[in-house]
Amino acid sequence: MNKELEHSFVELLEKHQNIVHKVCRLYTNNYDAHNDLFQEITIQLWKAYPKFRGDAKFSTWMYRVGLNTAITLYRKSKRTINTQDFEGVAFKIKAEDYDDTEEQQLKVLYKAVHQLNDIEKALVFLYLEDKDYREISETLGISEVNARVKMNRIKTKLKTILNP
Amino acid sequence: MDELDLLKKDWNKTSNSTKISAKEIYAMLHKKSSSIVKTLFYISIAELVFWTLLNVLPFFFSKTFNEQLDLVYTNKTVLVLINIFSYSVILLFVYLLFKSHKAISVTDNAKKLMESIIKTRKIIKYYVLYNLIVVFVSMVIGIYFGVNQTPEITEKLENADDNFMLIMYAIEVAFVAALVLCFWLFYKLLYGLLLKRLNRNYKELKKLEV
Repeated sequence: MNKELEHSFVELLEKHQNIVHKVCRLYTNNYDAHNDLFQEITIQLWKAYPKFRGDAKFSTWMYRVGLNTAITLYRKSKRTINTQDFEGVAFKIKAEDYDDTEEQQLKVLYKAVHQLNDIEKALVFLYLEDKDYREISETLGISEVNARVKMNRIKTKLKTILNP
Repeated sequence: MDELDLLKKDWNKTSNSTKISAKEIYAMLHKKSSSIVKTLFYISIAELVFWTLLNVLPFFFSKTFNEQLDLVYTNKTVLVLINIFSYSVILLFVYLLFKSHKAISVTDNAKKLMESIIKTRKIIKYYVLYNLIVVFVSMVIGIYFGVNQTPEITEKLENADDNFMLIMYAIEVAFVAALVLCFWLFYKLLYGLLLKRLNRNYKELKKLEV
């Protein structure tokens, strides 16, 4: 039974791992820390998996566990020796999309997002994942109105960072 | 175009250079978590064991401690009542800690999860506070009785005036209080460091509700 559970979990996580990578990318800035957080989220997902009921989508459930791990449970990686800049690797833009100004803009944008605090990043993450305000508010435990207000403030904040 | 919309366009396009294989995921499942909940759990156990041992060990292993207890508590019923009370407090804390640890769920919303962790941390805090108060009271009483019932000291202090004795006791209380305070500050620092991120994020979430 346990093996079966393990197998189904690994299969699902392998398929949806991109969600976890995206969380890690937002909350860490080097390769080792990324892997460390990925591992912690995997452990938390696995621990919670027996209680996972099929009525929620696995990916939706992952957003919650992933973000909770990143903003609440995770203690920063002890392995900080490798500080190779990760953004360049993670957000490589394909050759066909190459656009000097847009590429430049994106680079600056990702840097600006990295400057936001943990809660702001969580909102941005859910927004980028196309979640509506109801889901954003349910994931973070705030009201829908406040989620909307905060999101607008983040947009303004990003604008200020980008056009000082 | 909105900055975030530009980002959204790129967001799902990002490369899969970090793709992790099923084999690697299997390996991760058997690794140990280093989450703050796990640390908090170990700390709860350590606190319970440490303070319980501190209460119980001298009772079993130190003859002088028992002799002193006999001197202080000439009435055995008081001692029995104090023991029943202190064990009940330990049991109560074990129960509360167990309950609050069980209530921590990673699938709750972020705010609720933070609140459950803060609640658990508060229970540990009260347990430590309770023990520090007990340490303070028993040290003050212990030293008082120690001084009064040691013939060598009482002989020397026979001629001391009341003011001198008052200052002596004040220094004693201040010394014990400083010791207990140091302990307390150490705990504050320990938990402050452990839950720094959580507290910061919780404040941020609370700020949104104002």
